[in-house]
Amino acid sequence: MKTIISVINLTKSYGSIKAVDGLNLEIAEGDFFGFLGPNGAGKTTTIRMLTGIIEPDDGKITIAGNIYPNLKPILNMIGVVPESRGFYEWMTAKEYLLFFAQLYNIPCPHKKIDELLGKVNLSERKNSAIATFSRGMKQRLGLARALVNDPKILFLDEPTLGLDPQGQEEIQNLLKQLNKNGVTIFLSSHQLNEVSNLCSRVAIINKGRLVAQGTISELQKKTNLAGSLKDIFLALTNNNHV
Amino acid sequence: MFRNIWLKELKEQLYTWKGTLWLVISSLVFSLISYLLLTDKELSLLDQTEMMWMLAKVIIGIGLLIISIDASSIISNEFEKETAESLFLSPIKMKDFVLGKLLASLSMWFFIFIVSIPYILVTSAGTKLFFPFLIYVFLLGTIGVLGFIMLIFAISLLFRSSKNTLTTSLIILLALAVPSLFSTTLKNNSFANVLSKVNPVDNIFSSLDNVLVDYQTSLLQNGQFIFPLVLFCLIAFIFLVYASKRFKRAGVVKHE
Amino acid sequence: MNNTKRLLILGVLGSLLILGMVYAYAENQTVSQPLTISIISEKALSGTAGDFTTVNAQISNSGSQPLNDITTYISLVDESNKMPVDLEDWSAEKGLFIGTIDAGQTLPLNWKVHFVKAGKYSLIIVAETAGQEMPQVSSIVYFTVKPKLNLNPGQVLPVALGTPIFVLFIMLLLNYRRNAYKSN
Repeated sequence: MKTIISVINLTKSYGSIKAVDGLNLEIAEGDFFGFLGPNGAGKTTTIRMLTGIIEPDDGKITIAGNIYPNLKPILNMIGVVPESRGFYEWMTAKEYLLFFAQLYNIPCPHKKIDELLGKVNLSERKNSAIATFSRGMKQRLGLARALVNDPKILFLDEPTLGLDPQGQEEIQNLLKQLNKNGVTIFLSSHQLNEVSNLCSRVAIINKGRLVAQGTISELQKKTNLAGSLKDIFLALTNNNHV
Repeated sequence: MFRNIWLKELKEQLYTWKGTLWLVISSLVFSLISYLLLTDKELSLLDQTEMMWMLAKVIIGIGLLIISIDASSIISNEFEKETAESLFLSPIKMKDFVLGKLLASLSMWFFIFIVSIPYILVTSAGTKLFFPFLIYVFLLGTIGVLGFIMLIFAISLLFRSSKNTLTTSLIILLALAVPSLFSTTLKNNSFANVLSKVNPVDNIFSSLDNVLVDYQTSLLQNGQFIFPLVLFCLIAFIFLVYASKRFKRAGVVKHE
Repeated sequence: MNNTKRLLILGVLGSLLILGMVYAYAENQTVSQPLTISIISEKALSGTAGDFTTVNAQISNSGSQPLNDITTYISLVDESNKMPVDLEDWSAEKGLFIGTIDAGQTLPLNWKVHFVKAGKYSLIIVAETAGQEMPQVSSIVYFTVKPKLNLNPGQVLPVALGTPIFVLFIMLLLNYRRNAYKSN
């Protein structure tokens, strides 16, 4: 399988704190890649560097053949559900997606937007102000926004956070469908069940460093644990394990 | 792409109560001032041209104040409301982002100017100064407001906080506006003269005085006041470019 | 002539001298009195706030000697508030200087006055002669300035009231249309 995301020796420091320290990742096209780590491990910083929001201090990033710092072309082919969950609260859901569709120069955006709102189960509230949305509804709207440009690669930072179990299942099914259709998904999440259900390969990061990478069975072999992803995760991230 | 940002901001100004409030307050202030001035003129306490000059100063003063408040939050809010990350993950360029927001702030000034037209008409009735009044309020106000917007945007990109940006902007506006209210007697020394020549607010008011009170209506006759204003805009633009570059280096999202 | 008679003559002469001096002093006081000031435009003093009018007066020297270096000025008191008025506001702050007024001569005095504020006022004209301790004043003239009751100066009222209402209407209309669109 062709590598679509390649990260070599990625490093980012904030003062004396190394948020990401020599990270190496390889994600194949069509992968459903899980990115795990405890709080403050460097997951969000990694996603922000990959999407061009912040500049790395060192390392090489290649995404779909584009090498950093020339990552501007990838903005048209990626969709991101970032950690920042802000919305233009005065807009309706439809206006919000239309705004972003116009930024991407999407032709016939109204039809596309109606489809997306249907996929994330927000059709009935398309003309309601975002200020009236619950947290879960905003999450789904954020996912719809990430899909507005039909991305080839999807970066998701805790996409099901705040959703009820039904909502989580709906989103997970949507993501599975997208992955089936060839979208590469980079999922950062604390929901270990979700990651083990969805992801074909997983990377675990702790204190900015890669702890382990591979399929779940590969990680089980590495840790000599036959248990769940949770057991593997805890074993690898406890007591400063690197 | 800047058009999308411009329209979005315009819609926000019109559909939230922010824009409505500012325009209604502006027109109420203009109503009060023009009523007061015309009453004084009735009592022959005020010459008509002096009255027009005072109203012109109020229009531009209100414009500068409202735009300073608007410009202080229009960029900073993207960071405070955490919408900046989603925005910069789209193919938008920094210059489109800034240009769109700049045009939105400038549009608010245009709305205030349009609201002031009936007052300009009624106070200049009977003189031949309606068009010079209109043109110079528009010209001087636009150049002055543009300079202030760029300056405030630069501060906003550096601070990323609407509270800090607003405080700084209002202090700058006060510092520039207060000396221009001094009488000419108090400005009769070389230091005050130099300050007066570089102060954009002073230049705006002096040019309006030149046009409305002294009937010097040609651009050439007002070049000495317009040139420092244009220079102020240029300096503000350079500061904005510097602030944009620093912002890009620091990243859209700063580490907390 | 014996000493008593001499003393008597000296006493009479001394008394006459003192009497003469007193008389001369009194005469001097009476000499400053020949100036009379009269206001001749009493009717013109009533008007409406905003009006301009002229206070016409005349100063006469009814004495037998010419008088020099006379400064005349108006003094105005606001009778409602019991305080003097700042004449600069009323454009009447100037003093009129008379170099010489001959005996028997009458000279005109006039001041342009701008009625700035409605109310009840009293006006006197004062004349100060150089070297004299006591000024001469005219009689007091009382007058009233009526208020200017124009609620719509320069036709501003339709604009002053109408514009904010119109702006609010437009903004409400835009919001109404948007809300209508949202509910569809």
